[in-house]
Amino acid sequence: MKILFLDTSSFFVTVALIDNNKYVFLFQDEIRDDMSSKIMPLISKAFDKVSYSIKDIDKIMVVNGPGSFTGVRIGVTIAKTIAWALKKDIITISSLELLSTTSVDTKYVIPMIDARRGFVYGAVYDNNLNVIKSDSYIEYNSLSEYFDESTIVSYDKLDNSVLPKVDVLKIVNKHINDSTLNPHSVKPNYLKITEAEEKLVKKND
Amino acid sequence: MNKDVYILGIESSCDETSVSIVKNGCEDIATVVLSQMDTHANFGGVVPEIASRMHVENITLVIEECLTKAGMTIKDVDAIAITYGPGLIGSLLVGVVAAQTLSYIYDKPLVPVHHIAGHIYANNLTRKMEFPLMALVVSGGHTELVYMEDNYSFKKIGGTLDDAVGEAYDKVARVIDLPYPGGPLVDKLSYEGKDVYQLPLPLDDDTYNFSFSGLKSAVINLVHNCNQRGEMINKENLAASFQSRVVEILTKKTIKALKEYNVKNLIVAGGVAANSGIRNGLKKVCDKNGINLTIPELKYCTDNATMIASAGYFAYKLGRRANIDLKAMSNDNLK
Repeated sequence: MKILFLDTSSFFVTVALIDNNKYVFLFQDEIRDDMSSKIMPLISKAFDKVSYSIKDIDKIMVVNGPGSFTGVRIGVTIAKTIAWALKKDIITISSLELLSTTSVDTKYVIPMIDARRGFVYGAVYDNNLNVIKSDSYIEYNSLSEYFDESTIVSYDKLDNSVLPKVDVLKIVNKHINDSTLNPHSVKPNYLKITEAEEKLVKKND
Repeated sequence: MNKDVYILGIESSCDETSVSIVKNGCEDIATVVLSQMDTHANFGGVVPEIASRMHVENITLVIEECLTKAGMTIKDVDAIAITYGPGLIGSLLVGVVAAQTLSYIYDKPLVPVHHIAGHIYANNLTRKMEFPLMALVVSGGHTELVYMEDNYSFKKIGGTLDDAVGEAYDKVARVIDLPYPGGPLVDKLSYEGKDVYQLPLPLDDDTYNFSFSGLKSAVINLVHNCNQRGEMINKENLAASFQSRVVEILTKKTIKALKEYNVKNLIVAGGVAANSGIRNGLKKVCDKNGINLTIPELKYCTDNATMIASAGYFAYKLGRRANIDLKAMSNDNLK
C-alpha cells in the first residue's frame, strides 16, 4: 500500500511517501513563506527518490484543517486534484488529531492551534487517538476541566503548551481503512466562518 | 500542415472559477465559468476569503465539466495556461496550485499568463489581432493605454493615477444606492437620462494618463448637496452625465494615442469593455477616424479562462514556460 501524506495546515509541513508502513520519503520542516510554490516541488522530489511514479500510489491522505486558511487550501487543492485526475482514494485528516499523535505521559492530549483574540482550535484526545472532545473553535480556558490530566501540545507557544512531535505513521495506520471520499467534495475544515459572514449573521439577527 | 495546438486555460484571480480549452489561440472549444457573484452580492462586494474558499470547493468540478464539454482529456492538450496574477492572492493560489499539480501529473508545459494579457488576447476570439495596435484596458482594477508592436510586446503609454474606471463606476453606483455590482446598472440607467449635470472632464491634459477620483468626488458632492437641500437627485440624469464624461475622456485620449503612434488598430480589453456607452462611443470615433476597432464579445469581457488559454497559446508559441514552483502574484507589471 503506497500512500502520499500531506500536511500544509501550519508552517510545520509534512510531505511523506509511505510504502507498507515505512517512510520512503519524509519531509518535515518549517516553510514560512511562499508555501504554494514549494509543495509540488517537494512531491516531485519524493517521487524522484523511488522507483515508481505518482500514478502508482494507492491513497492520498491530506490534513484539511483546522489551521492556516491558505496553508490548508494549498494541501487540499493539490490532494483533490491528484485524487480526481488519477482516480485515487482520498482521505482527510484533522490537524488536531495529527498533533495528538505526540507521545505524552498524561491520560489525554489537548492539541491547540492559536486562532487569535483569545481563541484556539482545540480538542481532547486520548493516547489511542479516540476523541474525548471534538475539534472546535473555542476559548483557551474552555477545556480547563481536562488540564490536570492532559498535556497541551501546540506549535504556537500557548500557555503551558509543549511542542508537538507528530507521528505520521500512527495516524496513517488509524485511518488507512477509512472510506474514500469523492475528490470533488473534499474541502478544508476551517471550523470558523469568515468575518464577513459573522457580521452578516449579526446584522440579520 | 501545422499541427493544431490545444491549450487548457485556468483562471481564478477574483470571483470566477473558470476553465477553458482553446484551439490555436482563437477557437473556443469549451469554456466553463462558475461565477460567485450571487454570493458576494450579499456582502456588497467581493470578500477575498469567501472567494478563496469557493475556488477550492469548485476547482476540480469546473475542470472536469470543461473536459466533458470538450470531449477531451488533459492528455489531449499541449499545455496548461494559468493566470498567475495580478489578482486576489488567495484566489490565485488555488488555480496556480491546481495547474502545477496537473502539469506535474501529465507532464504538460505550464504557461504563466498575466491576467491583463488575457483580457487583451480575448480579442483574438473575435478577430485575429493585427499589429501594431493600441489596447485600451478598462476594468475594475485597470485603466491603461498599451501600445503593442507584436505579440507580447506591451508598452504602457498611460494609466490611471488613482481609481480605475470600473472602480469609479461602482462607487458612483453606491452613492445612488444601486445594488452590487453597480457599474453595469449605471450604464443601463444612463440611457434613461440626459447629460444635464455639470461634471468636470477628468484629467483633460496632454498625457495618456487618466484620473477618475475627481469625477467621482464631484458626483458624491453633487448628491450630498442635493440631499442637504432636500432635493431629489435624478439618478438617470446623473448616470447619463457621469457616463458621458467617462466616455468623452476615454475616447479623446485613445484617439490622440492612435494618431500620435500612427496606429490603425484599436482593441478594447477588460470587464468595463462590456459597458455599452464605452462600446458605442468608441465605435463612433473609430468609424469617423478610419480605425479598425475590435471589442470582445460580452462573454469574453468579464473574467474567463478562454482568454487565458488564448493568451497562453501565443505565450506557448514564444516559448514562455513556468515550472511547478510557479508563484502567484497579487501585483505584477504586464509582461
